Amino acid sequence: MGSVSIRNVHKSYGALPILHGVSVDIADGEFVILVGPSGCGKSTLLRMLAGLEAITGGEVLIDGQVVNTKPPKERDIAMVFQSYALYPHMTVEANMGFSLKLSRAPKAEIKSRVAVAAKSLGLEPYLQRYPKHLSGGQRQRVAMGRAIVRDPAVFLFDEPLSNLDAKLRVQMRSEIKQNHQRLRTTTVYVTHDQIEAMTMADRIVVMNAGRIEQIGTPLELYDRPANMFVAGFIGSPAMNFLAGNLQQSEFSASDGSKIALPDVGNINVDKITLGVRPEHFRIDLKGLPAEVITIEPTGAETQVMMRFCGHDVVGVFRERIDVAAGQTIRVSLDREKLHLFDTKTGKRIGG
Amino acid sequence: MVRQSTGLVFVLPALIVLAMLIAYPLAYTGLLSVSDQQGNFVGARNFATVLAARATPQAFWNTVYFVGASIVFQVILGTAGAILLNQNFTGRAIVRSITIIPWVVPGIVAATTWAWMFHTEFGIINYMMTAPGLIEAPIGWLTNRDTVMPVLIAINVWKMFPFVTVMVLAGLQSIPNDLYEAARIDGANFWEEVWHIMLPQVRSVITAVTLLLVIWGLNSITIIYAITRGGPANRTLITPIQIFRLAFDAVQFNQAAALSVLFFAVAIVIVFFYVRLVQSPSGGAR
Ligand SMILES: Nc1ncnc2c1ncn2[C@@H]1O[C@H](COP(=O)(O)OP(=O)(O)OP(=O)(O)O)[C@@H](O)[C@H]1O
Ligand SMILES: [Mg+2]
Repeated sequence: MGSVSIRNVHKSYGALPILHGVSVDIADGEFVILVGPSGCGKSTLLRMLAGLEAITGGEVLIDGQVVNTKPPKERDIAMVFQSYALYPHMTVEANMGFSLKLSRAPKAEIKSRVAVAAKSLGLEPYLQRYPKHLSGGQRQRVAMGRAIVRDPAVFLFDEPLSNLDAKLRVQMRSEIKQNHQRLRTTTVYVTHDQIEAMTMADRIVVMNAGRIEQIGTPLELYDRPANMFVAGFIGSPAMNFLAGNLQQSEFSASDGSKIALPDVGNINVDKITLGVRPEHFRIDLKGLPAEVITIEPTGAETQVMMRFCGHDVVGVFRERIDVAAGQTIRVSLDREKLHLFDTKTGKRIGG
Repeated sequence: MVRQSTGLVFVLPALIVLAMLIAYPLAYTGLLSVSDQQGNFVGARNFATVLAARATPQAFWNTVYFVGASIVFQVILGTAGAILLNQNFTGRAIVRSITIIPWVVPGIVAATTWAWMFHTEFGIINYMMTAPGLIEAPIGWLTNRDTVMPVLIAINVWKMFPFVTVMVLAGLQSIPNDLYEAARIDGANFWEEVWHIMLPQVRSVITAVTLLLVIWGLNSITIIYAITRGGPANRTLITPIQIFRLAFDAVQFNQAAALSVLFFAVAIVIVFFYVRLVQSPSGGAR
């Protein structure tokens, strides 16, 4: 079966280090998403799993076997590229059956396996077409079909949806998820879109500048981000950060406003940053003043950009708010849901 | 109306030059082919004469042999060279530059050099083969009836295969790296990559290059004329050389013109069928 272990993996291009020791254990059947800003080394890591990129240091194990020096075809993996990389001179059917053809499978078997995969992806009408006669979404499906036909131990995806329009992306997201629920094949999926990560992953690996910042389920990362990077990266709109000091278990913002904190025990750092998710603001007549800068009603909720405790913050409110820019509203914070970070190290403080 | 005539004014100079450079010689050759040396109309008599000459069919088959064999080896060798030069190895840039030298060297220089190298008594090739005892006696490469044509074909291949290499290499370099990587993930080894990715992707380049080689091959005269002038015993006489000798050695311009017209017709038929053949019936590939 397809468990994957990445053990203290390093990568350098020449003298330039790109990955500085990355370790992840992926259980068989798990859907793991690597997410992080552009250039952080996600694709590099994925390509090292695939065998397209040499491993500078550390070990990669697939199904308990060290595969560091094995070529891609001995790793029992299938990969979907961002550009799809369909063979332009082959029909959809030939594209999907290519790996089986190379492994010298009987013609009848190739045909039937391609037919099954095509059916599950709704590609039957297109089997005799060439890739250039397909839409972007159809090409994306063919690329997935090519991976599915092989029935590999591990699927690798490198930003497979980034070339699609927003609506199709949402649709393909759920199709990929459904496929995973049906096939239960271990999947490693790279994206820089945190919404994709939140909605699809069993577990998310957040990377930044060649290091892993945190590994956890989507809600773990959302509720208990290990540091300010993860806190700011996961969630949309992003978490608000208020810089300030700790004074007798009260938070004193840079403009002097005081905010009561939850009981987090003894903290011996003075400069701390308060993290507040937009939805944890509440309209409260006894709360602190906030000057409205812009207001964006979306129907279901209202997004308010406001000046609060000396910072520009974004709040999301369930109720409709009837104020104009420039007016002041009073808001309070959901005390149990605040996040505290050490300003200097960026690390989370307390539970 | 005004716009149309303006357009015509713009293309007119080009049309006049084209007419003078192409249409006039063509028409004049046609005219020559049906006249005698005094300019009197003689109908098809010149055609009858050249067709009856014993050298004509021999030259025709020599041409087919020379052009056909050259092209097969030029394309195979050129494509193989391109695939090789597309790999990563140290010194690739240097090897790439060296490879195109034969194509850059002027034909007449190359021909003279090779003629010397193949010389029976003083040639380096016989020297290198007799010295270690590969052959007992020197071979008359360019005088022996059985070796002369293969040698000329080899020289022609050497001269033109770099052109194929350059063109195919350009085609190979435009293949996105993703395709190779996808093929490797699908389990392809190097030869399967060549067969399933590289060759299909450069098919259109090879087709176009082959057509050019056919046209150039049918017109090639330099190498053979400089080395053997068609001999020995018309063994390497190809039709362009026959035309050339008819015109300038035998001073039979009218017969040479008749042979040219015939050759032109045959060449057009060959090119026509080639183009028909390679136009892929599916039309979907690529
Ligand atoms: N062949 C190479 N030589 C040198 N540096 C490289 C090479 N390939 C990638 N890099 C560098 O490695 C870093 C990580 O690249 P990678 O492609 O893994 O980023 P990524 O996380 O996938 O980003 P994106 O979200 O933009 O795709 C980048 O800084 C990039 O410049
Ligand atoms: Mg990438």
